[in-house]
Amino acid sequence: MGDKDGKSSPSKKSKKGKDMDELKKEVPITEHKMSIEECCRKFNTDIVQGLTNAKAAEFLIRDGPNCLTPPPTTPEWIKFCRQLFGGFSILLWTGAILCFLAYAIQAATEDEPAGDNLYLGIVLSVVVVVTGCFSYFQEAKSSKIMESFKNMVPQQALVIREGEKMTINAEEVVAGDLVEVKGGDRIPADLRVVSAHGCKVDNSSLTGESEPQSRSPDCTHDNPLETRNVAFFSTNCVEGTARGIVVCTGDRTVMGRIATLTSGLESGKTPIAKEIEHFIHLITGVAVFLGITFFILAVCLGYTWLEAVIFLIGIIVANVPEGLLATVTVCLTLTAKRMAKKNCLVKNLEAVETLGSTSTICSDKTGTLTQNRMTVAHMWFDNQIHEADTTEDQSGASFDKTSASWAALARVAALCNRAVFKAGQDQLPILKRDTAGDASESALLKCIELSCGSVKQIREKNKKVAEIPFNSTNKYQLSVHETEDPNDNRYLLVMKGAPERILDRCTTIIIQGKEQPMDEEMKESFQNAYMELGGLGERVLGFCHLLMPEDQYPKGFAFDCDDVNFTTEGLCFVGLMSMIDPPRAAVPDAVGKCRSAGIKVIMVTGDHPITAKAIAKGVGIISEGNETVEDIASRLNIPVSQVNPRDAKACVIHGTDLKELSQDQMDDILRNHTEIVFARTSPQQKLIIVEGCQRLGAIVAVTGDGVNDSPALKKADIGVAMGISGSDVSKQAADMILLDDNFASIVTGVEEGRLIFDNLKKSIAYTLTSNIPEITPFLLFIIVNIPLPLGTITILCIDLGTDMVPAISLAYEAAESDIMKRQPRNPTRDKLVNERLISIAYGQIGMIQALGGFFSYFVILAENGFLPSILVGIRLNWDDRACNDLEDSYGQQWTYEQRKIVEFTCHTAFFVSIVVVQWADVIVCKTRRNSVFQQGMKNKILIFGLFEETALAAFLSYTPGMDVALRMFPLKPSWWFCAVPYSVLIFVYDEIRKLLIRRNPGGWVERETYY
Amino acid sequence: METILFFLFSLLVYVAAVADPSAEDGKKEKKEVDPFVYDYHSLRICGLVFGVVLFALGILLILSKSSYFSRKCRCCSNQEKKTKAPGDEEATAETLIVSKAKEPEPEPEAKAEN
Repeated sequence: MGDKDGKSSPSKKSKKGKDMDELKKEVPITEHKMSIEECCRKFNTDIVQGLTNAKAAEFLIRDGPNCLTPPPTTPEWIKFCRQLFGGFSILLWTGAILCFLAYAIQAATEDEPAGDNLYLGIVLSVVVVVTGCFSYFQEAKSSKIMESFKNMVPQQALVIREGEKMTINAEEVVAGDLVEVKGGDRIPADLRVVSAHGCKVDNSSLTGESEPQSRSPDCTHDNPLETRNVAFFSTNCVEGTARGIVVCTGDRTVMGRIATLTSGLESGKTPIAKEIEHFIHLITGVAVFLGITFFILAVCLGYTWLEAVIFLIGIIVANVPEGLLATVTVCLTLTAKRMAKKNCLVKNLEAVETLGSTSTICSDKTGTLTQNRMTVAHMWFDNQIHEADTTEDQSGASFDKTSASWAALARVAALCNRAVFKAGQDQLPILKRDTAGDASESALLKCIELSCGSVKQIREKNKKVAEIPFNSTNKYQLSVHETEDPNDNRYLLVMKGAPERILDRCTTIIIQGKEQPMDEEMKESFQNAYMELGGLGERVLGFCHLLMPEDQYPKGFAFDCDDVNFTTEGLCFVGLMSMIDPPRAAVPDAVGKCRSAGIKVIMVTGDHPITAKAIAKGVGIISEGNETVEDIASRLNIPVSQVNPRDAKACVIHGTDLKELSQDQMDDILRNHTEIVFARTSPQQKLIIVEGCQRLGAIVAVTGDGVNDSPALKKADIGVAMGISGSDVSKQAADMILLDDNFASIVTGVEEGRLIFDNLKKSIAYTLTSNIPEITPFLLFIIVNIPLPLGTITILCIDLGTDMVPAISLAYEAAESDIMKRQPRNPTRDKLVNERLISIAYGQIGMIQALGGFFSYFVILAENGFLPSILVGIRLNWDDRACNDLEDSYGQQWTYEQRKIVEFTCHTAFFVSIVVVQWADVIVCKTRRNSVFQQGMKNKILIFGLFEETALAAFLSYTPGMDVALRMFPLKPSWWFCAVPYSVLIFVYDEIRKLLIRRNPGGWVERETYY
Repeated sequence: METILFFLFSLLVYVAAVADPSAEDGKKEKKEVDPFVYDYHSLRICGLVFGVVLFALGILLILSKSSYFSRKCRCCSNQEKKTKAPGDEEATAETLIVSKAKEPEPEPEAKAEN
């Protein structure tokens, strides 16, 4: 992107491009590699005293407040102007300006200029302004909903300055400050941890890892995002306490850089905007071609230059479909409303269609595909793996709970567990309750509560005597309890932790409730189970217990947890439990539907490859039976390098590998693998992946909820954020918000998008058709000098009156075939409006309509005495005010006023004829391939439209006073029927065309006329 | 719904029957007097009545829509696809019946959505 900008406009933009490239690179934090002393020196701070107040104030002035610069908001009036002058409106504005120009010419040259052009210009301007206001308010409404998402609570931070602890606004934190955080706090800036006590942070919004990460003062990894000793701005501290030196504040933090990167990205035009542009080009082409042709003709026929110019303008303006802008806007609004009802909130009207064109969906894992809560998925006891229920509503299968081993395992899991339910949630279902504590402990808590009843009671019966909390050196957690039986004076020791560490301490194992010695065979089956569960991407914990012998540990024994005065060896192994963030219930189905709709689903996650792959397999992003290169290698027992990458449909790519890939290699991967998982990706890499897909011509949708997704959300053709769990930054960057966080809603979006694209085609075909019967009268008026058959006012009555409701009603049309079974449209080939549509509308149906109109025109004039033969060339006399004795074919003399009444009656009849032929047209436009008899007339809005347009025509013709107001006159009943044969003709003609299309798929008729 | 439509149509026919002879009569009478003058007054009235009836029909259609068509839109769109096959009028009738039969079902759903 930067390159392109650089080329187009050199100096200023290239600098901006460079900045963007800079931001796309990885995080430049180095403090994690420094020692604490070095760090202090760098920031002129003291590890005990903190900064001095003076220094802090100085830094605050130097660095600015510690907050993210809000993205530059577009002023309301610019948004309004964008609605007024964007896309389709330009066409109408050009028309209006041309009208005023023509009127100016007429006013300058003629004594009594006809007001038509002036009125037309005014009406065009009004139409644009009204439609502009409409879509402006539509979008303002959804942006208001956006505002309500904003969380305006000011954050506080606990800092140490001059040795004193003080609470200040997070905005006033500066680099070098010594900050203390505890469980539940939001981290106020990027911190280099200097000391920590059981501190865990939730980085899921930044990296996509569901599990809380522990923090400690040691540097564990070169990558600042992976190392343990850095805590990031706006992530949450889940438990424990930590103290750290602020290394970056505000926009310089990791989070800030992502936010800046996001707001700096420019999203391209939406597919529908491109289509409308293409349509405008086509229409302008036709209009200019017609205009120039008839300009030359007019000059040849001997009109003056000025007259010819006015004709030219008139013809060009007549080609502008006045009602189409409103029709398109209303159609899109209706779809947006329909989608909002199905929990897809669309921020930008044009984005309504984008999902329909989408060919690739890049989905984040955590919180989008998964539930973003750890849940117990498997258990291993009695030498057997048992599956737990991971569904959101506990509808899944259960396992055998009768085994005594299970009872033991459940007891250990319940006792050796510090998580508790928060108070006052007794009515809530267990899974919905909030817990205080570690995510995996909460998962255990919920699992036990679900299967064994109240954990609180178990804990009350077994009073805790001593406890050693989990730490990273021991890798286990231990507690000692009294037994349930009051007569039993032994103590129960329970322990959980990393399975291999637990196994090392065990000498026996419990099988079917009986203790058996741990033999090699048992150890091996343990290893197998551990490997299998680990291979599923699950986090495995081992459990063991011991009833302490009464003689060594009598009642009242003083357990000392600091120097462990009791045995922690020779325990009895109970079992394993493994946890995962399980996929949402509706996701596999939705992924399958996307697949069958020809959409490629790519998973892009910050999580580890094994977990990512397991979830990908679980939801069908890697479908059953498809292997990655590594799978093939391990199956055939050959090195990875010998496998032909083309054999593997699926692939899992690690973020670090992604860094080293060239653009070509990247393209190669995206092109040749249908099922791709990107793991351990940074926000910048997500962006690169989206750009890669777009480079290959795909229209990309990105779904995500975290801050780390927001650059990709912004860059994508359509960004879809999660409404409940999504972060504010991601919601701001997205074009669409799923209010129920349900990935399945995307399928609805695709369906609605595709439907509206098809239906817009129909609406446009319908609206454009009536252009021909509107232009031809003017053309014949110029060429053969007949009295004008159709005036400007009547044209406007059609375009802005009778045609509107039927055109809009086509948006309600049901799909002709299963639109979710076909491939996404090819943006280079399948256009909204193509030559074939223009040819059908203008060249075929439109021509028949014009014939119908002219037929009624000639009938009326003939009934009044003017046979067609006398009409040719009559115009000069006809329009001459001074000529009050014009003779018709029968020798009757007509005054100017009388002639005009007949002429306007003709206008009215022509208008009514167009309404009549448009009946057939709207029925014909309902389908593009199917017969109307197959489609049925289920669209009630369309029937309503037919009634209303006819009623409107009747009102316009018969209401008293119309002759003065709009110069429309009442028609005799018989004149209504003049155009009916043509209406029937249109219907039959198009049904035959569609029959031929269906009979000969791919034949000439389809190639030339299927739009 | 259908009965209302039927009623309205018969009303239309009735009005036309009442209005037409008078128009015809007027025409004939006038024609005898002057074949070049047309009774535009009764024509206007007929036309307006025609317009009003059509308009009312249309509105009725839309209003009746809100009672059951919208639901049909929402929950039967899938059904339409399934039953759509070559069945035409009959299929329509069928889906209507089905949608009516299913009526109580979508309501709690709608409430839940809100």
